[in-house]
Amino acid sequence: MRIPCPYCGDRDSQEFVYRGDASPVRPADPAEETEFFDYVYLRENPAGPIDELWYHAQGCRNWITLTRDTRDHAISAARLTSEGKSA
Amino acid sequence: MDKVDFISRRENVSLAAVMARKGVTAADIGGALAFEVPKEPAYRSGSGLGLVGTGPGTWLALSETLDNEWPSALEAALGSLASVSDQSSGYAMYRLSGANARELLQRGATIDLDPLAFTAGSAATTVISHIGVAFWQLDDTPAYDLVVFRSMRESLEHWFESVAASL
Repeated sequence: MRIPCPYCGDRDSQEFVYRGDASPVRPADPAEETEFFDYVYLRENPAGPIDELWYHAQGCRNWITLTRDTRDHAISAARLTSEGKSA
Repeated sequence: MDKVDFISRRENVSLAAVMARKGVTAADIGGALAFEVPKEPAYRSGSGLGLVGTGPGTWLALSETLDNEWPSALEAALGSLASVSDQSSGYAMYRLSGANARELLQRGATIDLDPLAFTAGSAATTVISHIGVAFWQLDDTPAYDLVVFRSMRESLEHWFESVAASL
């Protein structure tokens, strides 16, 4: 699979570290333990477009937020995570 | 690199990593150095200085002489715009030149090195045989300069020799 890095261009997925769903937001402190449980463990696993985090470890060493369709792996957007989480 | 006639070690080069501070742009750095600093993965050179884009706000800077004082001078020139760290002994550097150079790199790197896609001034940070490297094209010979972490030098040279033997 090729990942469109916003800086480096199309790269082999082996250059990246996969970090998973980009949507969970760390609960504001102080937070209940149940809120932290949800943040750490609960994931939606949707069949469709999902924002997810990839780290370009063997390229520009930046975090990238990809929008990928889990049904066909079509990637519709890629941006540097440092420029904001949402599209 | 005696066994491969189109690859040579480059030893008398100073290297430094430059990382822009928060909010500082390539243009800001360019203003301080009076240099056209690339904001994309590209190589630019002039006035004895070379800069390779290695990531957003990060560059590998090169000086064509081996000079212990040069990284400090670069740091002083950039002031509070960027952090500079001497990498002169951190990387091994190679010059690959000739038609075989492109073929050899293409057998290792999973990026398109066709002249339509990768030309003089293009640069890439990637992996060859699981070893992290950065290389950039100097001219249409084609000639390339490549850096690898010093501790991986022998492994990469072994790969160079194995692949060059099959060309």
